[in-house]
Amino acid sequence: MMVRSRSERAADWAVYAAMLVLALAFLLPVLWLVSLSVRTQAEVFLGAARVIPEAPTLDNFARVLRDGGFQSYIWNTVKLASLGAAGAVALAAPAAYALSRMAFRGKGPLMLGILSVQMVSGLVVLIPLYRFMDRLGLLESHFGTTLLYIAAGIPVTIWLLKVSFDAVPRSLDDAAAIDGLSRFESFALIILPLALPGLISAFILNLILNWSQFLIPFIMLSADDKWPISVAIFRFAGSTSAATTQLLAAACLLAILPALAIFVILQRYILAALTAGAVKE
Amino acid sequence: MAEQSANSADDRLARLAAPAVTEAEATPPRHPRGGVAARIFSGPLPWLLPAVGALALFYLYPIFEAVRLAFTDARLFDTETQLSMRSINSMVGSSTLGVILRNTLTYTVASVVGQIALGLAIALLVVRAERARLRGTLVLRTIVLAAWVIPAIANGIIWQLLFSEAPFGAINSALRMAGVAPVAWLSDPGNAMTSAVIATIWQGTAYSMILLYAALKTIDPALYEAAAIDNARPWERFWFITLPHLRAALVVNAILILIMTLNMFDTILALTGGGPGRATEILSLYAYGTVFQNFELGRGAALSMLLLVISLSLTVVLIALLPRERRG
Repeated sequence: MMVRSRSERAADWAVYAAMLVLALAFLLPVLWLVSLSVRTQAEVFLGAARVIPEAPTLDNFARVLRDGGFQSYIWNTVKLASLGAAGAVALAAPAAYALSRMAFRGKGPLMLGILSVQMVSGLVVLIPLYRFMDRLGLLESHFGTTLLYIAAGIPVTIWLLKVSFDAVPRSLDDAAAIDGLSRFESFALIILPLALPGLISAFILNLILNWSQFLIPFIMLSADDKWPISVAIFRFAGSTSAATTQLLAAACLLAILPALAIFVILQRYILAALTAGAVKE
Repeated sequence: MAEQSANSADDRLARLAAPAVTEAEATPPRHPRGGVAARIFSGPLPWLLPAVGALALFYLYPIFEAVRLAFTDARLFDTETQLSMRSINSMVGSSTLGVILRNTLTYTVASVVGQIALGLAIALLVVRAERARLRGTLVLRTIVLAAWVIPAIANGIIWQLLFSEAPFGAINSALRMAGVAPVAWLSDPGNAMTSAVIATIWQGTAYSMILLYAALKTIDPALYEAAAIDNARPWERFWFITLPHLRAALVVNAILILIMTLNMFDTILALTGGGPGRATEILSLYAYGTVFQNFELGRGAALSMLLLVISLSLTVVLIALLPRERRG
């Protein structure tokens, strides 16, 4: 065991202090939201003087949760986010397989093209797509909205899956080919099961990004009963007065809790997804 | 089944390689099982088609369509459009565009620099704490990353509640308790931009932190040991070892964050709505308003193309900063 010098120990304390300040800076905004959400209307107006309310209440959550609209927003979000994530993984996996295992002309430019799609803002494509979707009768529908979620998720998903398919040893493909397995069989029976952690990472990352997705449903869906939670809380924030701040805080907290829960439970997969590719040496 | 083949792949290779070769010589090359389907799936096209088709339909086609629309006087709900330069002329000629571009520049530069600097600082701190085996690094990392998971639209709402100048605004009521005069965070045009940048940095820093943390972990510790033997000062270690090794990660990080920030819409929309006046209205909000509030489709398409051109050209500039071996 190494003996740490006095100056090193002093530095340790400085590091601790800095860590504490940072943790507080990142925690306080969310704690403030929690604080507002358990207050009564009267205590909301006391501001920072009542960070911990004297009469904490869960009434705000009860009111939000009982609201039929809120339940439909959450259901819409779950539906759009999970179908969008599943669709993106399903379409990206074969493409990632081809990019990982096959040599063909134009592969480099194609990969660069897929990567550069990520540089395109959703707004850039949604402006012309609005009329296009309208003509197809897909505006105002969850089906059309899901298609856009899928398309938005494809580039990053191809990238992630290619990295995890690349990690499966090629000798397995050769063995499979010799065993008489077709390309499709070796993809479905060998690559996919072995790259399962990568598939899960990609699905979860899509799920979280889709949970946050705002622009696509904001432009595609104008009917209240079709909205996901992101659009609903924005509309709610625009229509609330000071008197309903505690309800807005409760709704906002309920909207971010599922994403936070998925993140905390599956942190390992998300970190794998976030760092894959970007810091490949 | 898959695990079995993983374990025995090599000896199976050895067993099967020889007969397979002779068989291939004896009979004309034939696909193992199934005829047409197997042959179709042996080329890349059917594998790529679903994903590339979706991207072509929902990205490539709209970009061409946007370019076309930019050269028309199209309005959102009129089908009659005529080729004209009116949209582009009115975009370039308007005095508003200058204000919007200046806002976009201020917001993007401040947010990107802030996110990278803070992300790097936290990553260095976490690595330093891990090396000293201090407790709580995982907790800190989780807290910072949790901010990244919060939807941007909720981020805007949360910071609006914090910056609020009403009695329940967190920051101002805390300032008042400390005997300091409250600040007009959102109603003063100058402060509003600062507030928007703070909210953006708070949420986005996690992404830089995690990328730079992963890159820091790849630096060979022997380099730091050698530096310690040479009695290098901490800033020398940072300048001569850490920064050069982080160059690629920093550039990649800068590209990704730059694109996210340039295209940011949700946080600002929920925080300030672009206001007060046009004080925090950046290009994406302006393009949105032009199309969906003023219904000027042609002009909005031209603005969105401007956004795309700025994104792509800045990306190209940053790629040129990559170390040589990472380019191409």
